[in-house]
Amino acid sequence: MGTTKRLTLSAVMIALALALSYAERLIPLQFVIPLPGVKLGLANIVTLVALYLLGARSAFIILCIRCLLGSMFGGGITGLAFSLTGGLLAMLTMTCGRKCKPLSVYGVSILGAAAHNIGQICAAMVLMRSYYVAAYLPYLLLVGLFTGFATAAAVAGVLKILSAERFGFSETSNRTQNTEETI
Amino acid sequence: MKDLRLHFLKGDILAIAAVVVLAVGLLIFFVPKGDTAGGAVQVYQDGKLLREFPLNTDESFEINGDYHNTLEIRNGKVAITHSDCPGGDCLSSGWIGTAGRSIVCLPNRVEIRIVGKSDVDFVVG
Repeated sequence: MGTTKRLTLSAVMIALALALSYAERLIPLQFVIPLPGVKLGLANIVTLVALYLLGARSAFIILCIRCLLGSMFGGGITGLAFSLTGGLLAMLTMTCGRKCKPLSVYGVSILGAAAHNIGQICAAMVLMRSYYVAAYLPYLLLVGLFTGFATAAAVAGVLKILSAERFGFSETSNRTQNTEETI
Repeated sequence: MKDLRLHFLKGDILAIAAVVVLAVGLLIFFVPKGDTAGGAVQVYQDGKLLREFPLNTDESFEINGDYHNTLEIRNGKVAITHSDCPGGDCLSSGWIGTAGRSIVCLPNRVEIRIVGKSDVDFVVG
């Protein structure tokens, strides 16, 4: 993949991740599951797609810029500390999970969600100076199983479409043009 | 694209099992020991015990900080009834009354914890 294409895609993905993390605030999931910090993790769809499509390095950069911009638009420094500790731990876990052969995108996403929860609870423990917040962790982990599965389904759908050769994500660009002609 | 592994695999069950084991383990670890009936409400801010109230007396209390929470004790249960914090997670936690349960307001760094009757004696407010 060329540098320009990679750069453009990264920019689009940052914008998409920001839009998704804003949009999911409109979904009142905490009324269904009354736990602080419960969310769908829609922005993780973008992180995962980036990880699978562009590789760990680009996904890492996209994540960092998304968290930074997200905290500027609302959330502040505390929000940044939370999204970064959760996001980076999830990123690390998902990068390792991606390399792990027995795991599909579902396992990677579920482990990523769990890592995200653990990271956020760790940040909360530091902020509150109390280990007691960890009592929330089991509930968050169990909710994360479902949200992780749901995001994985979305990622699988996106990747299936994008990895079709006509979108030009295949290894050779010549074959892309050939398919376009046949279509 | 090589080897995307977009379909659910047997290995994923292991990942799910690992998360479930961790969750259940933590759940057991944090289960309140002894009497589950709530005896008192402890209000923490920045990890320090701010106030303590008995659960059997109706009470209203303002917690100040970066934001403001109103805590109310009614009929042996406690809830945060008003809050100007962003998110309002503490409000959606609702009324709690059993030992070991807690309400957390992260923006205000407030934690409201219910302790059992047996835990109350040695805590000095």
